[in-house]
Order: sequence, then C-alpha cells, then structure tokens
Amino acid sequence: MGIQSIVNACSHLQNASRARLGLTSLPNNKYNLRLALALHRAGFISSVTRAGAHPPPPEALLAFEPEGPVTAANVATRRLWLGLKYWNNEPVMKQVNAISKPSRLVTATLEDLNRVARGFPAGYVKGLNLGECLFISTDRGVLEVREALERKVGGLVLCRVS
Amino acid sequence: MSAARPTGTLFTRCLSAAAAATSTSSAATAAPARCSSGGPASSCVVRQFSSSARLHVRRRPRFSNVRASEMGLVSEEKVANFSAEKFPRYTKAELAELAKRYSPEQMKALEAGEAAIDPKDLTIQGRLRVDPYRMPYIDDFSDIQPIIDRRPKHRQPPPDPMARFMNVDEFTKDLIEWADKFETGDVTGTLKKLSDFVPDQFRDVPEGQWPGKVRDTAHKNFAAYLEAESQRSKEDVEKGGPTDADILEYILERSAMTDGNRPSNSALAPALPNKVPGVAGLYKNAIDAADEGLDDSGVYQDLKRRTGMSVREILDVSVKTLVVRRVVNQTRLGKVASNSVLTVAGNKNGWLGLGIAKSTEPALASQKSALLAIRNMRPIARYENRTIYGNVDAKIGGSIVQLFSRPPGFGLRVSHRIFEMCRAAGISDLAAKFPRSRNPLNTVKATYEALLNQKNPEEIAIGRGKKLVDVRKVYYGGSVY
Repeated sequence: MGIQSIVNACSHLQNASRARLGLTSLPNNKYNLRLALALHRAGFISSVTRAGAHPPPPEALLAFEPEGPVTAANVATRRLWLGLKYWNNEPVMKQVNAISKPSRLVTATLEDLNRVARGFPAGYVKGLNLGECLFISTDRGVLEVREALERKVGGLVLCRVS
Repeated sequence: MSAARPTGTLFTRCLSAAAAATSTSSAATAAPARCSSGGPASSCVVRQFSSSARLHVRRRPRFSNVRASEMGLVSEEKVANFSAEKFPRYTKAELAELAKRYSPEQMKALEAGEAAIDPKDLTIQGRLRVDPYRMPYIDDFSDIQPIIDRRPKHRQPPPDPMARFMNVDEFTKDLIEWADKFETGDVTGTLKKLSDFVPDQFRDVPEGQWPGKVRDTAHKNFAAYLEAESQRSKEDVEKGGPTDADILEYILERSAMTDGNRPSNSALAPALPNKVPGVAGLYKNAIDAADEGLDDSGVYQDLKRRTGMSVREILDVSVKTLVVRRVVNQTRLGKVASNSVLTVAGNKNGWLGLGIAKSTEPALASQKSALLAIRNMRPIARYENRTIYGNVDAKIGGSIVQLFSRPPGFGLRVSHRIFEMCRAAGISDLAAKFPRSRNPLNTVKATYEALLNQKNPEEIAIGRGKKLVDVRKVYYGGSVY
C-alpha cells in the first residue's frame, strides 16, 4: 500500500480525535507502526499496543502481552491500538493533514526542512505555525522535523500534525 | 509488544503485579469477570478507568429501623388526644364572637365546614408542607398576597369630578373652618365654676350652706384659677393665632373649590396623591463622593457597579468608534432609520472589548456602544507584550482575517481598523490579511475572535507532556530586543 496507508491513517486519526474516542486502531504494518511511534515520541498519543481485532483491556494497555507470537497465519488480523489524548476538553491531536499522497510524493531536503522549521515555506511545504509538527520518512525511520534536523537528514514529507 | 511512556511506570508496576497474580496468559480479559463473581481479593484487578461505584455492592443502613407503632405513637388514644389538643371544636363563646361578624348564612356554612372535616383525619393526614415546592402561603387569608389576591379597595374617596368654585357662603364656612385650627380669643363654656373647688359632698349644696372654712378655700382657689386663665388667654392672643406663613399658605395653597381641600403634590394634576408609591426616591441622582466629581450625570454608575472599576479607571480606557452604519427598520408606518455604532475599548495593556449599539440618536448610540465595549473587555494573550502567539485565522460571514505575529520593531502593518484595535489592546508588532471579504463590521468582529482564540504554548506543552522553555528569555540574559 505504501504511502496510501499513511494517508488513511492520518484521516482516521483526525476523525477519531474529533469524535473524542479514547482508543482507536490502525492496520498493522511497518509504516503505520513507525508513524505511530513518532507520534508517541512527540506526545500526541498515550500508548501504542499491538493486539488482535478486539482492543486490549484498558488496564493492560501499557503492559500488554499478546497471546502468542505474530505468525504468518495471524498477522493479517493484527492491529495497532493507539490511545488518544485530551487536555482541557480538547484533543491534543486536533489536526492531522497528510502532505504526500500516492499521486504526488513530496520530499524535502535538509535546507528545506531548515526553512520550514523556522516558519518559512519551502516548495510544497508551508512553514510551521505555533504548536505544529511535521513528520518525515527518512532512511533513519519516521522522524519529527526537529529530530530530522538533529540527524541532518531529509526525506519524504508525510504529514502535518497540530 | 507495547510502548509505554516513562510517567506510566508506577501505574504499570501495580498492574503487572496484579496480572502476574492472576495467571500468565489470557488472564487479562478474564480478571474482571472473576472479580465480580467474588474471587479472592488478591486476584481482583481494580478497573482504574471508571470512577463510578460498583453495582453489586449493596448498600445497607447502619441501624435497623424502628417503626412508629412499636414506639406507641399511632395508638387510638394518642391520636384522639392529639386531635383534641390541636384541633378543638369552637366553644360557645367563640361562636358568639363569630356571629357578631358573620351573617347567619355564613355561620351555617362555617359550621358545615367544621363538621365536614374530622379532626382525626387532620391528625393522621394533615401536613404542613415544608418541601421547596410548597405554596408561598398557608390558607390563612389574614395577609394580602398581591399575586393571588384581589387588589384592596382604596380607603380614600376618588377625586370629586363635580368640584366647582365655592360660592360666598361656602367660602365663609371654609374660612371659619380654617380659622378654627388656631385657638384664639375667649374660651367659652369650658371654664370651671366655683362649685368645682369644693369637696364632693358640697357640690350640690347652695353656697350659703357651705362651712366657712370650705367657702374661704374655694374662693381663694377660684380666684387664683381665674387669674391664671386670664393670663393664659392673653399669652395665647400674643403668641398664638395664624402667623404670616399660615396666611400665605392659605392664600396660595388652599383649594378654592368644593373638593374638601385634599392634599396633592401637583398643581397641574391635583388628583395625584402626595407621594406616588413605588416611585418615591427613585429619581434621585445620587452623586458618589468616590467619583471625584467626574460623573455627576450618573452615566457611568451602572458600568461602575458591573465592572468594579472606578470612574477614573473607566475614563482612562481608550475608546474608538470603528464602524458607523445607518440601518433602517421597515415598519407598516414607514422606515425608521437609526444609527448602529461599533466601538472598541482597551486599556492599552492586554484588555480589549467590542460594543455594538443602535439608536435613532447618533450620540446615544455612540455612548451606548462605548459603555458596552468597556463592559465587554476581556484579556488578550500577547507574546512579550508586543505581538500575538503564532498566526491566527478567524472567519465571520464572508470575511476571513489572518493575523501574523512579527518580530520586535516590525510595527503595525495592518488595516486602519485593526490598527486601532491593536493600539487599544497594546499590540505593537503585527501583520494582517483579508483574503476574502473586507466588510468593515465583519473584519472587526473576526479580528476580535482571532485575538481571543490564540493558542497557548503552555497548554500545548502540558497536553503533549513536554517541557517548554522560551530561549529568547534565556540567552543574553533575556535582553534580546
């Protein structure tokens, strides 16, 4: 599926947040998992748990042990369960906009990211506003734009979250 | 697989301990079921995601109930005693008293009503309601409740519509009536006689038969009394009688009509009573000494009460009229034009308010909108007391306003109305765009909304669990301007 799964995940996360859900799930694949972990590092979601078609019990979210290993037989039914966060009656993750799409992949060089992180536009990417984060897919995994700047890498621009 | 935030470690530890106590695998989903079926306490996993009480724990009272019958409170004898004490029949004396006031038919109705209600029923069923929804009266009828009862009739007679000017005879009579209020001249028919000064047994006896001693004493006292009386009447003539003020009052204020000279406070509407109830004292213009003479007309008194600001502070607020429109209300009688005015008010230190008012008088509309604007003032978030936090958008109708924060020294590169708003709020660096409609009213409203809806970086940081440091305040000792 490639980048399309990321676009779907972005739309779904924004919908789930605005519907005030506490827990939601994404299809289990490596791209989604890396994006989810990057969101977790940035503080947008509270937990990332891999489980089956049914959500893990809430008390076990943070220390859940799956019933068995992921095998070729059950991998298709696995899902990533993400805990959504709310503060002051507002979702922490209010807007999730995908930037790259299958028909137009948007990449950014290190210079572009430098400009974007300082609030100036670069190519297809608008400058970041207060409280916004940009997620980049690099050869070091999915990183937030400030992490990418630290590691001095550019890459494929996935989504803008605020 | 799981990824946990470091702050959740404490939480995780107790949960994993509980999970280990139950079983190794597939126990997590089974744990709540075992808990509700009364399993061992050590294996019960507490559901920490719900704060409501558990349903299966039934509440029992701490003490067993004692019934009233067991305490002997509802026996026949007790009820009868209570009824006789609290709801006695009318005595004969009371009935006689009532008969003086009520007609025989009313008395019959009274007795029928008394007979219809059993005192025992009153004892067992009768309740004085104390709940919050009770009626605001008991059936007493001694007080007049303006909401429920009819208005009582006036004690005073209505003004006489047939009043006319007095003729000579009536005028004379009225004058004598007025003059009688002043006690002057000889008092006739009230003087004491000589026989009033003797003991009671000689009262009816002729003077010649009084003993000599009694007669001397009576004459002596009577002479003293007459002397005192003549002296008193002389003084009355000197100091009593109508004064010049009384006579002036008679000429100017005494009614010359046959209406009984009723008091009134109005020469134009003599039928008005002396004091109109409910209005007395309302139209006084109370001047507050704390205003330092700044508000003798009382314009700011309501605002002062609502906002808690002093008149001096209210006058220091900078107020600017931004939009004036002529609006028309089409009625069946024609078009009624009025002025609609939008005013902003700010203290130049982070507070801004918007007021819109309408009146047929332009000056009144301006004043109303200014007072409203001061009343509506709310705090505006400012970064470094000069610009806004980040870029903000707002939309009212077809007008979209985009505000952009700018570095120090940038100035206010905005339209003139936003410029006035920024000046009132104390913002000095800002840029703005209207990508769509530039309707004056809507752009001002949208700007106000945008200024109020700025993001708060502290709140964002708390929501994401991050620590926030403004490096502009860290490097070079914070002196970065």
